[in-house]
Amino acid sequence: MLRRIADHLFWMARYLERAEWRARLADVNYHLLVETPTKDPHPWAPLLAITGDGELFAKYYDAPSETDVLDFFTLQTRNPSSIVSCVNAARENARSLRHRLSSELWLEINTLYLDAQQWMPAVFDQQGVYAFFNELRNRFHRLSGISHATMPRDVEFDFMTLGTMLERAENVSRMLDSKYHYLLPRLEDVGGPIDRMQWAAVLRSASALEAYRRVYGNQIAVARVVEFLLFDEAFPRSARFAVDRLQAAVERIEHTAHSGEPAVFAADSPGGKLAFLLREGNAEAVIAAGLHEFLMEVQDLCADIGSVIFDKYLRFE
Amino acid sequence: MAIQTAVTEVAASKLSSLTPFWAAYKAHADAFDEMFNRQGAPRAGYSRVLAEFLATHADRFDEIRARADRMFLNEGVTFNVYGDSAGAERIFPFDPIPRVIDAGTWANLEAGLIQRVRALNAFVADVYGEGCILKDEVVPADLIKTSPQFRRAAAGIKPPHGAHITVAGIDLVRGADGEFRVLEDNVRTPSGVSYVIKNRLVMTRLVPELMREVGVRSVEHYPADLLASLCELAPSGVSRPVVALLTPGVYNSAFFEHVFLSQQMGIELVEGRDLVCMDHKLYMKTVGGLRQVDVLYRRIDDDFLDPVVFRPDSLLGVPGLTSVLRAGNAAIANGIGTGVADDKAVYAYTPAMIRYYLGEDAILPIVQTYLMRDPDMRAMVLRDIDQFVLKPTGESGGYGVVIGPKASDRELAETRERIQRDPAGFVAQPVVQISTHPTICGHRADGAVEVAPRHIDFRPFVLLGERPRVLPGGLTRVALREGSLIVNSSQGGGSKDTWVMAA
Repeated sequence: MLRRIADHLFWMARYLERAEWRARLADVNYHLLVETPTKDPHPWAPLLAITGDGELFAKYYDAPSETDVLDFFTLQTRNPSSIVSCVNAARENARSLRHRLSSELWLEINTLYLDAQQWMPAVFDQQGVYAFFNELRNRFHRLSGISHATMPRDVEFDFMTLGTMLERAENVSRMLDSKYHYLLPRLEDVGGPIDRMQWAAVLRSASALEAYRRVYGNQIAVARVVEFLLFDEAFPRSARFAVDRLQAAVERIEHTAHSGEPAVFAADSPGGKLAFLLREGNAEAVIAAGLHEFLMEVQDLCADIGSVIFDKYLRFE
Repeated sequence: MAIQTAVTEVAASKLSSLTPFWAAYKAHADAFDEMFNRQGAPRAGYSRVLAEFLATHADRFDEIRARADRMFLNEGVTFNVYGDSAGAERIFPFDPIPRVIDAGTWANLEAGLIQRVRALNAFVADVYGEGCILKDEVVPADLIKTSPQFRRAAAGIKPPHGAHITVAGIDLVRGADGEFRVLEDNVRTPSGVSYVIKNRLVMTRLVPELMREVGVRSVEHYPADLLASLCELAPSGVSRPVVALLTPGVYNSAFFEHVFLSQQMGIELVEGRDLVCMDHKLYMKTVGGLRQVDVLYRRIDDDFLDPVVFRPDSLLGVPGLTSVLRAGNAAIANGIGTGVADDKAVYAYTPAMIRYYLGEDAILPIVQTYLMRDPDMRAMVLRDIDQFVLKPTGESGGYGVVIGPKASDRELAETRERIQRDPAGFVAQPVVQISTHPTICGHRADGAVEVAPRHIDFRPFVLLGERPRVLPGGLTRVALREGSLIVNSSQGGGSKDTWVMAA
């Protein structure tokens, strides 16, 4: 396979995953607002903090009103990580490799792209914020279903997996961090009903609430949510799950490419470190030592793995 | 025109179903109507489909057209328009009323096309080889040596079995007498074949029962034929050649076609930056390292192909490719410099070329062509400039063509000046009253769908491998604007499916 094609596959998958998490983040914020009435004059501002887009936002808008944040976060192509920008980037990558995609997958990506060009700020009023993001999330589920149902499990699929899972591990950690940092300003709320509701919203936005309940029952406690979203082996949007899949895909690629260089997941490499953290760690220990620090380390390791993969397999010019 | 006559002849049983849509059809006053003769009876080939057409309600055609457009947009069957903002994609509008060619007419066309492309290929080989046709003064040597398409670098490259032109698209039109004539040859990187196959796919999806009934020849074999022709170019000793399609990238107007063909052939679609030349061999950069390429189907122009030999600023090509070709370690289709054969001035000499190389008379006539480099011809044309079509010799895609009777005084004055400044850069041809075909043309004031005659042309595709292969069909382009003679996709044209009848 061409290195350029591998690069396009990686980024297509990565941008789709990123767009999906954006839709999830908007959804979690929406639920938090509905379920825990707030006196905060700018209840949508946390979204900007989570994604680190506050500065760019301030360049174009005055105050983070709901309308403006939703516009910026979802539709604005001036924001390179808005949902529409991510969809456009994914589609641009897909276009360069559409001869390698199943026609079903290409059609789904292209129609999502064509629809996204039609979205106007009024879409949130017309459809309702919940319905809009819910429908969007369903479309991402459909995309993932179509790629699993129609793409051969070969090295091309592995490069897509790399993009998806790397982005996923990073986003799970970012979402947990956001709850820890921004959504919980008052210490006395910890463990209270508002706190529980907020954690439930976080789980729901990762489509994880039901799966969580199957494992831990009705009790929503911070340590268990962290345990579930970081360390659960079976849930498809946990960081552990993402890293397991990432490692399996990388090892298949290494096997095919016979590069003979040190493996991405060798013990002292970023991959090896991340796998160790997520396989051997547990929530109690991590919270005791500082959840935020742990999550930052996960994000840094993800970035390091990304550059190793780029150097080994994707760099072609 | 009395369409009822046609109906009583071919479809008396369906007379009751004749829709106002067809009854309202009025053929063009002067042009050859492809579907009906002067008496309103169906022409050869159409009789079998006509009954079905006449019974088909206008709304059905309109619906097919709308569904086809939506299908093309969603599937990304689009082309890019240069000059628009980067990434502006348009669909090539589809007209659902197919153009039909009967088996007898096709047999003659096929023979004529093979004859023509063999002669053009022999000409390219000769020009970059011994130059016999120039020494014998059948074609003036200075015309070739000054042609903007002449590539000195092509001299000495000997492709397997002498195939310089692997893919040719020959543009044909039908004059008022109904005879097919060659309007233009395209032997550099002709495009459009993906639309032939996609248009057929639309018709088989939308009117399967009709397709089955009338016996249309299939076009789906083209990618396999193309791949076979490309594999035949592989250096000797290579049993399973690695073939790749070289595209300029996603912003090229024909990018969809590059994607489509590489997908259909199961070969890599590469850009210049995916390739590298080392030790006079061509490689592509894969995840597992370098992999040698034996045959390159290139869809970029000569000028951009190899910055070592041609334009040094080109980022699209592969430095060193020419030396790989010269060493015989890879082949490309089409070869370098084939553009000398489709130059609009060289066109005037094609009948002589066919006689010279094949000892045969041309089966397909060309349009009378006056070279503006000839002082007598120039004087004659400039006297009545508004009676001629003026074409720049170096351009393609309909760019720069001035149609005398339709041009403004100012345009004519400017063209006259340009011809006087650069006589060798122009040819003139009489205006061909090109044929028309019933075409869906939007809606009338009362909301009814309208069918009207629109001018069409035809681009069949010829592959020259160890043996010639002709796609049974081709791209019928239609000028959707009333009265327009320009069918190019970049200038408001659309396309129709072309049905070559099996018998």
